[in-house]
Amino acid sequence: MIKTTSLPLGRISLLLAILVWLALVLVDLVRIFGMINNLDSGISEEVTWILEILFFFFVYLVYRHVFWKTRQADFLTLIWRGASTGLFAAGSGLLTELIYLSFGESKLGTDPFLNNIFYHINFAWTSAFLISTALLWKHLILYQKNKAVVKQWQVFELSMLGALFFVFFNHNNFDYSFLFGLVILLVVSILLAVNLKWIPYLNFKEKWKTLLFLFLILMSSGVLFYRVLSYGNEAKLQINLTDNLFLMALFGFVFAYGLFSFLVTLFNLPTSSVFEQKLTEAINFQKLSQSIQPEENEEQVLDILLDSCMSASYSDCAWIALNPKEQLQVKNPLRLLDQPTQTSLASLIFNENQSWTSTSSTEQAQSIRLNHPIYKSALLIPLVINKSILARIVLIKEVKEGFNKEMMSIIGTFARQACISVENHRLLNQAIANERYQEELKIAQRVQKALLPLQLDHPDSFEISAYSNTADEVGGDYYDTYQVNPHHFVVIMGDVSGKGTSAAFHMAQMKGVFQSLIQLGLKPAEFMKKANAALSKCLERNHFITASIFEIDTATQTFCHARAGHIPTLWYRAQEKTAEFISIEGLGLGIVRNQSYQNHVHEKTFDYQQGDLLVLLTDGILEGRNEKGELFGYDRLKNLVEAHHQLSPPNLQQALIDSLHQFVGGDGMIDDDYSLLVIKFTQPE
Amino acid sequence: MLRIEKTKEDNKDILRLIGEVDASNSVLLDQSIQEVVHQGTSFLLIDGQELGYISSAGLGVFMSYLDDFSERGIRFAIFGLNDQVGEVFKILGLDRLIAIVPDKSTAIASQHES
Repeated sequence: MIKTTSLPLGRISLLLAILVWLALVLVDLVRIFGMINNLDSGISEEVTWILEILFFFFVYLVYRHVFWKTRQADFLTLIWRGASTGLFAAGSGLLTELIYLSFGESKLGTDPFLNNIFYHINFAWTSAFLISTALLWKHLILYQKNKAVVKQWQVFELSMLGALFFVFFNHNNFDYSFLFGLVILLVVSILLAVNLKWIPYLNFKEKWKTLLFLFLILMSSGVLFYRVLSYGNEAKLQINLTDNLFLMALFGFVFAYGLFSFLVTLFNLPTSSVFEQKLTEAINFQKLSQSIQPEENEEQVLDILLDSCMSASYSDCAWIALNPKEQLQVKNPLRLLDQPTQTSLASLIFNENQSWTSTSSTEQAQSIRLNHPIYKSALLIPLVINKSILARIVLIKEVKEGFNKEMMSIIGTFARQACISVENHRLLNQAIANERYQEELKIAQRVQKALLPLQLDHPDSFEISAYSNTADEVGGDYYDTYQVNPHHFVVIMGDVSGKGTSAAFHMAQMKGVFQSLIQLGLKPAEFMKKANAALSKCLERNHFITASIFEIDTATQTFCHARAGHIPTLWYRAQEKTAEFISIEGLGLGIVRNQSYQNHVHEKTFDYQQGDLLVLLTDGILEGRNEKGELFGYDRLKNLVEAHHQLSPPNLQQALIDSLHQFVGGDGMIDDDYSLLVIKFTQPE
Repeated sequence: MLRIEKTKEDNKDILRLIGEVDASNSVLLDQSIQEVVHQGTSFLLIDGQELGYISSAGLGVFMSYLDDFSERGIRFAIFGLNDQVGEVFKILGLDRLIAIVPDKSTAIASQHES
């Protein structure tokens, strides 16, 4: 069909159909007049036939257009339209009959012209009814089409087209060729009539209505067919439009499909509830499997699940028992049940303390026989998520053994799907929460970076450079500097035990302790004692901090050093051209949390020379491992510093870090925070 | 990886540490020591002959029990540490607080000294 909406094709076709019909009436009247008066009207019967075919064609176009416009309408509307057309056609036929009965044997009653006009009206209505109904059947047959059905239909359409022009071949005689054609078309019709896939989609009520409408269509076509036959038998007519193969085959087709539909619908009535049930189950399943949006809640899923289970098992009442640990609240946990009845039923079902942890025996749906005056059977469905039971659904029926295998299987599927939905929902929420923690950690990382000084205090007489890297987002390594006066500088490096967030908190405390105590002008050992006392109050029992502190006096070219359990500092001495780790006793901070700590820390003063280096580090450097499992270790560091002593602190630091990375390699690991601080005494003050 | 084997010889509880103690499994060590302490031991020995590595978190576990041991009068010694692991204890200064001895017999002999 041409899809030009600007042209009112339906109306044009209707107008043409009416015009052709008028022409047909006129032509036939002229022909009858000729026959009665034995005159040659000069119009051959082929003109009638051509007009008839044209009429069929335009009526077909009209209804095709109507169907195209209403192709989305439901079955009932369409069938009702067919039925109403049939009623109208049959009604008009019966009315004609009545009129003729009232005429009796009067002159009007036998007038061939009037008779002919009525005949043409009836013919028009019959054709309209048959063609529209045939198009309706086409719509129904092709409802769930596949290639084979479409082919079948095309064969039928083509043979109907042939039947349309059959009249030229057969000259409207009722002979064997006519019968042969009719039989073939009827066979094709019956073959098509088994395509009834639309019927199961009707619900019970719709099926009843359909039966009524189909009955009306069958009745109408019966009445119309009877009238056509009686016309054909009455000899008073010289022009016969209706003994036409096309029309007869249409009758056959309309009647055959109508009858099949009627019978199949009728026999489908008792089982239609099953189909409806299956459809509801499919819809429920789909509802359950839609993942819950983060802003929605799990209760809604449980609600849908309870309803679905009830309808799938035809339960008389039901409730949902929630695991008290799950903090869930279902708005309406009881269905068709009051609280006292539920309590009495629950006492029958859960006789002992029901465990909410899942074991293999409770994961299955469980059918239970009840000893209750009204309710006789129960089905228990546990909803298991992550090995714990989220809730139990209890379905109750008034009949004994009311739950069959199919019900239990479909309900089991529902329950599993609901669990998956809830689990997905939880995972999604977890993922969102994780995302937020990641963000928080990034903030922590930024804050912690700011705790390490960007600018290290130092005079012109020494250079200093520091580097720190964390194993996790945040870490426990610490270094800092402080200028006491123009000649006195304090440098500290610390390492909190463990790593990660807890270490990072303690590292922040260490910074606070250093920055407060160092203002008091404490000597290194005194600083350590005070720091130990302060940290003892704030470190967790199994945490400690190691530290190395240097107080550098640039005026006397000395440094005073104390070590609290920290990795010894490497001192490169330019004069001897060798490096050594400064050995001095000292216990880590926070290990002994009382006055006796003062016995465990010592300080010592050393003279330094121009060109000397101090390399402070944390154990992460020494404990870097290569793929053979060897440690980076003290000796490797010592040799590297001796080899690169001429470098400036930033360059030496870079060289050491590069060597460490090279040593560890791609497969090795540094699973700890590691830091490095290099001081080079460049010139005397 | 850390495996802890617990044995008892006379009045001595011996925890044999096999593998490495780091932040991820220091809880295991903590649980084992706690268990022995709660059972009312009087002499706890740590067999470190097959201890390959100990991180600061592992050292923290020993450290956290030092007060407990002295309060309850539990004798405590570690023996058989390899050089590397022994060095870690030494640098931190724990060798001043814990009896770290070469072998089991020395540990038992030192019983009356500490």
